[in-house]
Amino acid sequence: MSGVRQAQKAATRARVLAAARDLFDEVGYDEATVRAIAARAGVSTGGVFAAFSSKADILSQVMADRVDGLLEELERLAPHLRGSTADRLRSIFAIHYAFEMRRPRLFLAHVAAAYHLGLEPGVTPYGRNRRLQQMLREIMAGGVERGELRKDADLDTALQLLLAAYAWNYSRVVTSGADSQVLTDAMDAQIGVIVHGLA
Amino acid sequence: MNAMFKPAPDAGVRPPTRRALAKRETREKIVAAARALFIERGYEGATIREIASAAGMSTGAVFASFADKAELFAEIVANDDRDHLVAMRAAAAEAKGADALLAAFRAGYAFHLAQLPLLQAAVSVAWLTEEAARERARSFQRPVVELISGVVQAAKDSGELPARTDVSLVSDMLWDAYAANYRALLNRGLDLDGLTAFAKRQIAVILAGAGASAAA
Repeated sequence: MSGVRQAQKAATRARVLAAARDLFDEVGYDEATVRAIAARAGVSTGGVFAAFSSKADILSQVMADRVDGLLEELERLAPHLRGSTADRLRSIFAIHYAFEMRRPRLFLAHVAAAYHLGLEPGVTPYGRNRRLQQMLREIMAGGVERGELRKDADLDTALQLLLAAYAWNYSRVVTSGADSQVLTDAMDAQIGVIVHGLA
Repeated sequence: MNAMFKPAPDAGVRPPTRRALAKRETREKIVAAARALFIERGYEGATIREIASAAGMSTGAVFASFADKAELFAEIVANDDRDHLVAMRAAAAEAKGADALLAAFRAGYAFHLAQLPLLQAAVSVAWLTEEAARERARSFQRPVVELISGVVQAAKDSGELPARTDVSLVSDMLWDAYAANYRALLNRGLDLDGLTAFAKRQIAVILAGAGASAAA
């Protein structure tokens, strides 16, 4: 493929992702159609399907792109975190909530799509993000090294619980209109329990 | 033929009319047929026509009882939520503390494992709209959290858990773990023993941390 073609393809992809991100956030995943995404991106539906296999694929890519930027920042930040293990974990999740809550509907769409099994295969299920998991593991391993956590602390389970709490706090957005601060406060308390359970 | 409903003589309640009974019987037939078809074909795959046919009636008769497929499905899910809760309660009643929680979780998973396609359909429907998500929280989440709270409160009262235990916080976290394991069930096909093993460790970590004070 020529350099120009490649650049065009990349530009199309970027426009579709930007349009999809906005539309998912405005009307939710289900209401957003590929046709509407294509129209907003200024491309044909055929053009969309040349770059993406399905609406679910588009959502997956939107989330992956957004999270990539966030994770890069966090990975730069992580070695400089100070304080107790609990406080370091709190920082990571506070940053996540602040970031995701800039577009809450989009995030809920991502969580929802993870459950649309059998209907839309190919969506990265929520919580599978390896880089985030790795970061959390490293923080906890650091806690073990510093003697804050038991040597035999069940870090695998702690990780599951952290991710479960993180995900389920989002349901508070739907059931009671919680904002970023409410989610962070809830997560802070949950982290306290989990870390205390490993001490 | 169903047994005729006969209230106790002093119940002070008017017995249902034959028409009301017939309506109820029709409704139950439709629900039973729908349940089987949803399990076999999933939500999208089952049609009102097939459900009506399986129930031995016309689509018109089905629509006389239910506005649409969604309403019919919602009734099945509501019934299941009640039965699921009953199963969890019965299991929790046999034990105390961590054991009661584990038994309840196991019973809950066993209930859904027996009809996985319905669970998948229910979960995907639940996230379609904010309204649906709120309804799910009310119908499925809240009663289970209340059950969990009862067990945690009893453990705190009996001294099994520290006096500082924040029952509401611990109960919410136990619910989070219970619910999160459903993803492992649906995404990775974990079986009952696998789910129970996860749950056991999760319950252990949460209860070990139950004494965390707010300032920790």
